[in-house]
Amino acid sequence: MNEIIIAILRSGTPLIYVTLAGVIAQRAGVWNLGLEGLMIMGACATIVGIMLTNSIVAAILIAILICVLASVLLWFVIDRLKANPIIAGLGLTGLGLGGTALAVQSIFGSQASVTAPFGIPKLGPAFGAYGVLSIAVAAMPFVVFGMWVMLRRTRFGLRLAACGEHPFAARSVGANPSRMRLVALAIGGVLCAIGGAELAAGSLQFFAQGMTAGRGFMAFAAVIFGASHPVGATFAALFFAVVGALGIRAQLMFGDKIPHDLLQALPYLATVFGVWLSGKLRGGAKAASSFAELKDQ
Amino acid sequence: MKDSLVTVARSLIFVAFALILCALVFQFAGYNAPVMLWAVADGAFLRSGAIEQSLRWALPLFITAVGVGISFRAGFFNIGAQGQFYVGAICAAFAAEAFKGGPAFLVIPALIIAGTLGGALWALWPGLLRLRSGTDEVITTLMGNFMAGLLLVYVTSGPLKDPSGSGQQASSRPLDAAYRISDSLGISPTTIAIGAAVGILMWLLVNRTAFGVLASLAGRNGTMVEWQGARLWKLGLSSFIISGALAGLAGTIEFMGPNGRIASGFLPAHGFTAILIALVANLSVVGTAAAAVFFGGLASAALYLPIMAGLPAAAIDIINAAIALFITARSKLVDQVLRLGGRPS
Repeated sequence: MNEIIIAILRSGTPLIYVTLAGVIAQRAGVWNLGLEGLMIMGACATIVGIMLTNSIVAAILIAILICVLASVLLWFVIDRLKANPIIAGLGLTGLGLGGTALAVQSIFGSQASVTAPFGIPKLGPAFGAYGVLSIAVAAMPFVVFGMWVMLRRTRFGLRLAACGEHPFAARSVGANPSRMRLVALAIGGVLCAIGGAELAAGSLQFFAQGMTAGRGFMAFAAVIFGASHPVGATFAALFFAVVGALGIRAQLMFGDKIPHDLLQALPYLATVFGVWLSGKLRGGAKAASSFAELKDQ
Repeated sequence: MKDSLVTVARSLIFVAFALILCALVFQFAGYNAPVMLWAVADGAFLRSGAIEQSLRWALPLFITAVGVGISFRAGFFNIGAQGQFYVGAICAAFAAEAFKGGPAFLVIPALIIAGTLGGALWALWPGLLRLRSGTDEVITTLMGNFMAGLLLVYVTSGPLKDPSGSGQQASSRPLDAAYRISDSLGISPTTIAIGAAVGILMWLLVNRTAFGVLASLAGRNGTMVEWQGARLWKLGLSSFIISGALAGLAGTIEFMGPNGRIASGFLPAHGFTAILIALVANLSVVGTAAAAVFFGGLASAALYLPIMAGLPAAAIDIINAAIALFITARSKLVDQVLRLGGRPS
């Protein structure tokens, strides 16, 4: 049992950090499909940072810096240049996937995976079987709680929601939606950096090209599934992690009967199901998917 | 006329923005940005034979992008072209197994139909979920891409596995030479004819039929169209099916043409590039053809870069991504400069 919980926490924690980044962006009214790109930038920067500075703190700070810069770029394109957030987010994702491949190639001379000598500190033997988990996993519940307080119980959080839902009204009471979006995306950048760091340097200590494997998009689906509520989205992300862990179990148990490539598709299938269910329950979570603006320009 | 010129100029300005961003990324990664960009242009268009290679890549991109444009026109973010492309190729490959040994003049159309239907089916379920339950199609089609990718891995290492293949990449058994519609180097009269037919049909559909007009109106204001008595869900579902069918057709052409087999993870960025092409072309069919040649050039340069210049092919992904980041951007400042002396927007 312990084993399964550890596996779920391991695969779920990076997803949860990135999901929180999606939640705060969503509250500010930005569909952030750049999560995948931010996450892999965070993962890559952490590993490269460890190799260069020999310090995990410095490495995570580098990752945060890079992810915040990328988030600000996304904000500039969406908010200042009025680009379509979905396409711009996909662009940022592509930039992250391609940029990290290029960075690894140029720094290490090959595109093979990079192994770092150490990662995020572990909890240690005091926690028994759970000692193998990194401190980022232990910090996760507090971050989720802090996020809930910030988004639902502070003036900033309520203003943020107002800016996301009705920027016009928010402006009339003195909030600045554009600046709010910038702050939300920057906080999201920090969270994505931590999520990426946990993915690459949490239980493992290596970076491979495309190692996020769609987790950023899954995190985005968790935001929709969880109605962009920090706790709801966290549980949605955990649900995806549970399905993923069960899929791995199933591969071990029925690997000879059911092809494992198809079992690997379970989390994606669960995502579709989750988004369908949240649409059923709440009457549809639709993208602002109109190209009217593009065509009427 | 002036308006469309402004649109073209704006696209070019933001593509230039994107190239500057790429140059920064390249420089930051320790490459010489001007050399790198020159190598891309050289590999895409300037070398001898580069144009043919660019057209070979442009053709499937064009067919997929026209389909993406149809669904975008109707207001649906079908970003699942990659999955539909894969499923189309997979269905054609299964059909090729089933019809093995039949006369070519029957088998070739059958394979094309199978692939087209496969792509349409892979677009049908997100379309139904969207139009029947309001499930967001961005996520369902995106997840469909991942699932189709895994399905491709499964069929190429399972049912369709080529036992003689090398361990590097799982691939299907090669298609019989009799059923191929082009050689492995590139384009053939058959593939060009298919591309031209698709282009003409889609141009007629978009510009000369009630469906095309209603679908574009629905993309702008669905409620209005519904009030005027059009069946919004029929329009929407048809646009999903058409876009999926065209992506599936492109997959089939790739399978029956230059590739001759399907391999796990082939052309992984195809769908994304097709979306870009549709957007760069502002969803117009003619513009799509022009943009497809440009991006086809980039795709052919991606193969040339690692061999000739020792540069990673990821450079092309970065250029594509940067263009995606900027392509839907609209800046008041840029517009004002472009419209200098023109009427205010």
